[in-house]
Amino acid sequence: MNYHDEAIGYMHRYLDGDLKQVEEKFLRRHLEQCETCQKHFHELNRTITLLQGAEHIQAPVNFTGPVMQKLPVEKKSLKYLR
Amino acid sequence: MDQLIKDKIKQVKKGDQLAFEYVVVFYQDKIYQHCYRMLGNAHEAEDVAQEAFIRAYINIHSFDDRRKFSTWLYRITTNLTIDRIRKRKPDYYLDAEIKGTEGLDMYSQLTSNDRSPGEEVESRELQRYIHNEIAKLPPKYRSIIILRYLEEFSLQEISDTLDTPLGTVKTRIHRGREALRKRLRHV
Repeated sequence: MNYHDEAIGYMHRYLDGDLKQVEEKFLRRHLEQCETCQKHFHELNRTITLLQGAEHIQAPVNFTGPVMQKLPVEKKSLKYLR
Repeated sequence: MDQLIKDKIKQVKKGDQLAFEYVVVFYQDKIYQHCYRMLGNAHEAEDVAQEAFIRAYINIHSFDDRRKFSTWLYRITTNLTIDRIRKRKPDYYLDAEIKGTEGLDMYSQLTSNDRSPGEEVESRELQRYIHNEIAKLPPKYRSIIILRYLEEFSLQEISDTLDTPLGTVKTRIHRGREALRKRLRHV
């Protein structure tokens, strides 16, 4: 395992909020010196931003009706109470 | 809101279907969206999302009230989507045209906010590309990436939802991020 691999491992743990302070310092120092890793880190962050920008999708208008129709029959006693 | 859902679930357990209708309306967009993102197809998404609610209703007595209902519902949903993906024929393509709607694939059914036509086309293209790349991930990775980044679950919530150890969730999310990094870096 070389420095790059170790740094990439740190990047992922950083993204998961799992990096200790000492490790974060190591990562920062390495990023300042290593353009390859800087690029890698930038690409990871950008990937996340792209994913987070995904559009929201809504259920079709008549979604609930067919679900309710397919449920097993309700207990009679409750129907009566209403 | 959690308390309201809890009360509704209690009523459902007593056999009250009207209370369940409230639950369906409350979660339908989230569950449908999750199915859509997992399956990449509107027709299948509707089918599986409906099935998820029906399964939840039928099995409501096995739901432990001390836990979060949404976690349980997402677990049922994710399992159903993964089953569906496994049963697919290998020649099934994500961007296959829907029958009788030439030139209109599922991505054109995405809702969008107000934008100028130019921005919209560009954004749709990008959305399509991103969704395509997510869809190429194996289902085990896909579900975790979708829950984490598109639906904003915490790692612990993902672990609870998928009944997968936290360490495994992390390993998969690392690999998923790397795979997507390679595919999205030129965007």
